[in-house]
Amino acid sequence: MAADADSLRTGLPPSGHQASWRSWLLLAPLLLWLGMFVLLPTALLVATSFSRRDDMGRVIYSFTLDNYQRCFDPTWLSIFGSSILYALLATLICVVVGYPAAYTIGRASPRNRRLLLTLVMIPFWTSFLIRTYAWISILSEEGLANGFLLSAHIVPAPIGMMYTPFAIVLGLVYNYLPFMILPIYTSVEKLDNSLIEAAYDLGAGPLRAFSSVIIPLTRPGIAAGALLVFVPAIAMYAITTLMGGGSNPTIGEVIQNQFTRARNQPFGAALGVLLMLLFLVSFILMGRKKNTAHAT
Amino acid sequence: MKIIRSLTLALLPLILAACGPKAPSFAGGPTTPTSNEEKKLNLYCWSEYIPQSVIDDFSKETGIKVSVENFSSNEEMVTKLLAGGGKYDLIQPSEYTVEALIRENQLLPINPAILSNLANISSEFRSMPYDVGNKFSVPYMAGFVGICINTQKVKNPVRGFSDVFTPEHKGRIVVLDDAREITSWAFAAEKLGINDVTPENLEKVKPLLKKWLPLVKVYDSDSPKTSLKNGDVDLGVVWSGEAALLYRDDKKFAFVLPAEGSHLFVDNLAIPRSAVHPQNAHLFINYILRPEVSRKISEAFPYYNPNSAARALLSSEEISNPASYPPAQEITRMQTFRDLGKQAAAIDELVTQVKAGGK
Repeated sequence: MAADADSLRTGLPPSGHQASWRSWLLLAPLLLWLGMFVLLPTALLVATSFSRRDDMGRVIYSFTLDNYQRCFDPTWLSIFGSSILYALLATLICVVVGYPAAYTIGRASPRNRRLLLTLVMIPFWTSFLIRTYAWISILSEEGLANGFLLSAHIVPAPIGMMYTPFAIVLGLVYNYLPFMILPIYTSVEKLDNSLIEAAYDLGAGPLRAFSSVIIPLTRPGIAAGALLVFVPAIAMYAITTLMGGGSNPTIGEVIQNQFTRARNQPFGAALGVLLMLLFLVSFILMGRKKNTAHAT
Repeated sequence: MKIIRSLTLALLPLILAACGPKAPSFAGGPTTPTSNEEKKLNLYCWSEYIPQSVIDDFSKETGIKVSVENFSSNEEMVTKLLAGGGKYDLIQPSEYTVEALIRENQLLPINPAILSNLANISSEFRSMPYDVGNKFSVPYMAGFVGICINTQKVKNPVRGFSDVFTPEHKGRIVVLDDAREITSWAFAAEKLGINDVTPENLEKVKPLLKKWLPLVKVYDSDSPKTSLKNGDVDLGVVWSGEAALLYRDDKKFAFVLPAEGSHLFVDNLAIPRSAVHPQNAHLFINYILRPEVSRKISEAFPYYNPNSAARALLSSEEISNPASYPPAQEITRMQTFRDLGKQAAAIDELVTQVKAGGK
């Protein structure tokens, strides 16, 4: 993959005339990939979203706007709302927790840096589902956390932590934190020390240097991390089902249910398309922010 | 895709012929059936229902490699089966789904000549209304849905659904994540027949569901015992086998058949029309029907075993587990789900909506 990307960068001639068949050939695997795994499924999703279904849940391709009309029922809108809220909260906590971690890793000595990065990656060695099940045994009322709190006489009775919005957000933060740390780390690593020294020379205190020099310079990392956390967090359903117990449904769970239990693929597809549009809008907004940041 | 499908269609008669009683591969006699298919079986079954050790032993004995995929509701299974997403050789539908799949011509007839152990199934399970004479399905396990109570936490007597769904149990309840089940409880509470599902009756139970579902903390069909065991909920409406496991391991859990009435469910093994390895599927069914194998399944998942030869092998403790084997007169009183056709979608819609809005 990396080799492909390199050859893409060097293989595209600026004039666009010479060796164009070669660049197309180099592009072919990527185009094929995009076509088969992005364009085709998306087209299928959009087509399904305008279709009907029969009693057994089979899709009958036709044209109806009913599915989209149903999406705007207050029931589903409020679920959209709470899912966005969970994802935003998770993103925010990831920035607050992830930034100091990424900064420390980025400023550490090369040897420690490698070690710390490995520590960030270690959770990926196990399936996230198994790690989520581990959280269940930690958070449940007869679990590790409550056992500790009770025996230390911090609380008089076990706290119900599982199957709450708290558990959902915790599950999201835990699983997506590395996706925030890694991009921020990349921009911290590239940070030019002389710029920070210049800030100090010009009389800025540590706080001022951080807010007007370091933060703006690492903004691309924060933006990338926020997108990497926010987008999958909205649609995530496995963690939210396991940790939320289904009584605080998220939009990912509702969509999954439409494709399985509810036998309503067209409606699930319509919700999926709306979710995709939401991502598109957030991407555009992100892009715009970057542009205005450049302009000032 | 189309080409593959038409190819399988063209080959279907051949596959069917291969399963026929006169097929040469079974000439060895009904007691030692063999299969001339490649040594593979794609099993699509409920989660937490077939012990891995049983599957491993089957593979060891026959050399057939079993790939297992799990579902957690009949609807999910049907959707995936009909979408052609996977090629399944053996599925595990409940009674009403067997009925629907037969109507839709989605099941391959069972060849009784290969199933030498079919006689182990007790007679009442050989004439179930959804598939009289087991032409398309073989009962795997039966059970009911009942109320499981942690008696250390719940002190008031709980006799039926109306005692479960009370404000004092708010946030302490687990229920199955199954629209048909949930609706049937409300039907029972309103004294409506569980199969009299009409738009009017659905409208009638809606207020009750709106009262009940906001009290629920966890929806879980896969393993409702987990939240009970972990102490995150105090009572719930769960599969009988799950309650039996809790009772077996800890006597603080009690099982109650709801006063409003319960229904019997029968989960079956059936072979889809699109199966690529129907002979292997027959071998697997016949293996499951062996008394000692079925006994092992009962040990791991103590549901009501329709295999009377296996039931004879159970310990007295297993037989006396109230969640596995309630009094016989209770069972004869129970109805089974029938296929609802069009109304099935209406049920899904009602429950999804109440659940989502009922916070």
